[in-house]
Amino acid sequence: MAEIDFTLEAAPILGGVDLTIGANRIAECDDLAIVSVATPLGGDDAMAKALKDVWNLSLPEPSVSSQSGEIRTVRTAPDQLFLIFPHATPDAETVVQQKLAGAGYTTDQTDVWVVLEISGPDTLAALERICPLDTAAFPIGGAARTVMEHMGALLLRLDVDRFWLLSASSSAGSFLHAVETSYRNVASH
Amino acid sequence: MIIDHPLLGPRDAAEFVYKGDASLIHRPDGMTATDDEMHDYVYLRDNPAGEHRELWYHEQGDRSWLVVTRNTLTHEISKVELARDVARAEGRGQ
Repeated sequence: MAEIDFTLEAAPILGGVDLTIGANRIAECDDLAIVSVATPLGGDDAMAKALKDVWNLSLPEPSVSSQSGEIRTVRTAPDQLFLIFPHATPDAETVVQQKLAGAGYTTDQTDVWVVLEISGPDTLAALERICPLDTAAFPIGGAARTVMEHMGALLLRLDVDRFWLLSASSSAGSFLHAVETSYRNVASH
Repeated sequence: MIIDHPLLGPRDAAEFVYKGDASLIHRPDGMTATDDEMHDYVYLRDNPAGEHRELWYHEQGDRSWLVVTRNTLTHEISKVELARDVARAEGRGQ
């Protein structure tokens, strides 16, 4: 009987989509790990210290992410934050849990979210039509969780006209469709 | 309608879910409350025409529970607080 190779290969949620619309770009980021960290009751100071000691990160404000090198952290709830960082192997949660050494409760959110990096001169105009928040007023690093086209989304402003959009991987196709349609409606060709 | 979230600033009401009268914070102790007390907690609500304290949940946001003071005649919102701050101030959640 012939040998059968059952090795599986991970595929990006949207197949690594990379679209150019006018001078704008929508690209899937498939190398990011996302780990949710919840702060134990009364453990705010210990959490702030752990973030500083392990990654040199400051505890993010409710609407502004903080960054150190390639790792970013965003507040998703009063006592919860997301750590987002490039990580090739599927053990991000274990790694974070060990480094935090009890300062927070961790849950792996990698591949639960699709991450789209959108950029270009029409980005604010495209977001304006599908996002209820005033993204033009976001500072660089500003972050917020909201609802876009009936889908929950987390926005992070990386630069003047560059954002990360995170949404549920289960509805990633619909989310991409919403973002792409909005760009096509506003893009100058 | 815009709800001015204490941590996040003004957010559209579409991000929130209405969860009922703020008196729901005062759940009686199920081990000691009488049937009448539990019945009143579960079923009886005031229905004011005017100022009303109510619970809103920021489902499409930071998942916080808020106590919103709203006028049911004008929809004017006069106060927004984190429900956990209200509960702690009233001696709950110790």
